[in-house]
This record gives sequence, structure tokens and C-alpha cells, in this order.
Amino acid sequence: MAVKLVVEDVGKDYLIPIIDRVSFSVDAGEFLCLLGPNGCGKTTLLRIIGGLEPATRGAVGIDGELIVAGRPHQRRIGVVFQEDRLLPWMTLEDNVALVLKPLGMPATERLATARRYLGLVGLAGFETYYPGRVSGGMRQRAAIARALAIEPDVLLMDEPFGALDAQNRRIMQREVRRIWRETGRTILFVTHAIEEAVEIGTTLVMLSARPSRIRELIRNDGRVERLKLIDDLNTMIMEEVERQQGGAP
Amino acid sequence: MTWVARLRLPTLAVVALIVAVWTAVSWRYGAYVLPSPWSVIVGFVEVVRTGEIWTHTAASLSRIVIGFGAAVVTALVAALLGFVSRTARGIVRDLTAVLNATSVFVWIVISIIWFGLSHWAPIFTTFMITLPVVASNLIEGVESVDRRLLEMGDVYRLSGREKFRAIVVPSTLPYLIAGMKVGFGLALKVSVVAEIFGVTSGIGYIMNYSREILATQMVFVWAVVMILVMMLTDALVFDALSRRLMRWR
Repeated sequence: MAVKLVVEDVGKDYLIPIIDRVSFSVDAGEFLCLLGPNGCGKTTLLRIIGGLEPATRGAVGIDGELIVAGRPHQRRIGVVFQEDRLLPWMTLEDNVALVLKPLGMPATERLATARRYLGLVGLAGFETYYPGRVSGGMRQRAAIARALAIEPDVLLMDEPFGALDAQNRRIMQREVRRIWRETGRTILFVTHAIEEAVEIGTTLVMLSARPSRIRELIRNDGRVERLKLIDDLNTMIMEEVERQQGGAP
Repeated sequence: MTWVARLRLPTLAVVALIVAVWTAVSWRYGAYVLPSPWSVIVGFVEVVRTGEIWTHTAASLSRIVIGFGAAVVTALVAALLGFVSRTARGIVRDLTAVLNATSVFVWIVISIIWFGLSHWAPIFTTFMITLPVVASNLIEGVESVDRRLLEMGDVYRLSGREKFRAIVVPSTLPYLIAGMKVGFGLALKVSVVAEIFGVTSGIGYIMNYSREILATQMVFVWAVVMILVMMLTDALVFDALSRRLMRWR
């Protein structure tokens, strides 16, 4: 499989070192989950990969092109944030159609594309609703539709279901996995919920305590039994949480 | 709401009580000090019949529209500058603080010195008094634009113009309408005071004239006209406008 994304020796200092050095690569069509204790820099790493924040050291490349914060590039990156970040004064379809404008798509095609992707995420029939009139889960679905509509090279998701209740969370996990299978996109998914990661990821990257490195990179191909994997990861994350709180190396 | 609730019976009861006391006091002290409610109603019918109500209301309103309109336009320019540059925002904020602290009377006296006894005096006074109200509201609106939405705009590479149109303008609109609503109320209250000097039309002029010819009931009639103008513009212009622009809520 072709390599889609390369993260090489990326580090970030912000008053204190947050990320020490992290390197990994992601193949096209992979579903990679970034795991780690709270505050270990998962979100920061995702923002660096998305070109939203500069790295202190190292480099990020997508399809061979360097992604540097503040510098224009030709790659398409879709981001689903922890919050939906929909414009409350626009209908769901207008929210999605808005981000297609910079791609130079004509207006009628923008609307058609927006509707197609809203349908894909299960929002058919809600196209003309305002975000304030639908549930939190549906808003996050619309945010996913928006990120998918630009046909991104890489889709970044930063704990997108953190604000949802347990039941909606499960539903959305299944939905994301279905959407991933149907679209074949390359996805990076940040979470601190281990079961969620084991449920949906093909590759699991466990980050260590701050300043973070990669503690373990696991191919979730079913060779390790699911319950044992969850168990191992839980042990790892608890060790890292303790290390981060204790401050000991 | 049922029709009984819509009648606001408690308020009506208090109004009835006030009218009763009013009538009693009027009998006791005479029509010069306090004209009876009935004479006010008669006076009101009279100004409507002769069309005087329209002449003076139109004269006052046209001055307000010019002065207040110029203030809104100036405030919009100031807010735009404040959006583009942080320094400009600081300047606008400091200047509005000074203007907000300046008394109406200062502007009335200065405008008489500068423009003499002409209709430019109330126009200028209205402009100077409403400008800081609208400008400070707009600057607050510009500052309250959600940075996370702007970042979303960056992720999807919306142009500066597109971000302004889709994100900045809609989030500032409620502040503009609120500022205009307060500003217009202030304009009506202030411009009639300035009309006492030098002009020969307008609600302020006719109230002062009525006092001079000892027609106290007409002072009350014009006060009622002023209140009606205020309540009607609130309901017909500003409330309707904000309802229309904020359908999505």
C-alpha cells in the first residue's frame, strides 16, 4: 500500500516540552487511532499534522508534500474537531456547501455534493435544518459530512464524540467505521477511550506521558485477541498516567 | 398564551388606578399643573385631525434618521477598522469611552455655537450621542467572533472575504441590531431636547411651544406621541428585523 502520511521526528515545546519526538507513517486507507493519557499532546500532534500549529522540530508530509502551519499547500485535509464548529446561522447543507467554494465548484454542484455527503452520514431529510434544531450527535455527523465532502487526502478527527452520551457514542463509532469502509479515506482518530480505539482502528499508536514519544505501535489485525489487547492497553495507559502525574522519568 | 393573559390584566389594573389618581389630582390642582386625562385624549384627537402630528413627527424623525444614520455608518467603518487592526480597535474603544462620558448638554451647546439656530444642531447632537453606543456594541460584536469558527474557515481554506461574509458578519449582526435599538431610543430622547433651541418644527419644539402658551395638555399629548413613536419603531422595525435575521435561533 502507498504511504499517505509521514510524521518524522515531530516535537513541540510550549513553555515546557509537550511532544519529545514522534515518528510514524500511515498507509492510504488506514484508520489510525492516537491513544494516550490526557494532556500528553494528542490534540497538539493532530493540529501539527493538520497544519494548524507549527512544530518545534521535525516534519509532516502528505503524499510527499510538506505540511507547514501558515504555508499554503495543495493537499486536502479535513478536520472534525471536538466541537462541531458548524455555523449556527446556516442550514446543514449550506454549512457543507460552504467549504466546497474554495475548490472552485459551481453552486448547483456544491449543493448536490453537500446533500450526497449528508446522506452518507445518515442525515438525509435534515439538509435544510439549522444546527440548533438537531441533536449533538447529528451536528457531529454534519461536521463529518463537511470534512468528507472536500474528499480529503487525510481526515483528522479529534475526540469527535467526547461530548456525546455513551449510547450515541457507540452508534457514532459504528457509523464512522461504516463511512470509513464506504469511502476508503485515510483517517487519524484521536481518543483517550481504549475500547473505542480497539473497536474502530486498524493501527493503534499509544503515546507516552509528557513529553511524549511513541510507547507502542500496534497493528489491530485481530492476531491479538480483542479483550487481551484492551487489557494490555489499559495497563499501559495507567502506567503513563501515573508517570505523568508523578513527573518521574 | 390565552387571550386573558395577553390582556395583561395586572398591568391594566395599575394603569386604571394611575388614571383615577391622575383625575383626582387634576381636579384638585387645576388643568395648568395637571390636565385631566380626558383633555389629553381630546388634544390627541385634535392633532391627528389637523395632521399636526405628522408634520412634527416627520420633522423629528427626519433629523434622527440623518444624525443616527450617519452615526451607524461611521460606527460600521470604525468596527471594520477594528476588525482589521488591533491598534485601531484600541483607539475606537478609547474614543467611545470618552464620548460615552460626555453629556448631551455639551453637544447641544457646542452645536448651537457651531451651527447656529438651525436643524443641524439636533442632527449633530444626535450623531455625537448615538455614535459611541452603536460603535461600542459593534466593537464588542467583532471581538466576540468565535475564533474556533475562524479556524474552521482556515482549515477549509475559505478566503478572507468568504470568512468575513460567512462568519464575521453573521456573528456581529445581533450586536449591531442591539446597538441600533438602544441608539435609536437614545436618538429620539436626545434630538427632541436639542429641538427646544432654534428650530420651528419637531416634537421638541412643539412641546416647548405648548408650554409657553400655557397649553399643558398639549405637552402631555406630544409626550404620548413620542412614546408611541418609540414603541412602534421598536416593534415594527427592530424586533421584526432581529426576528427575521435570527430565524436560525
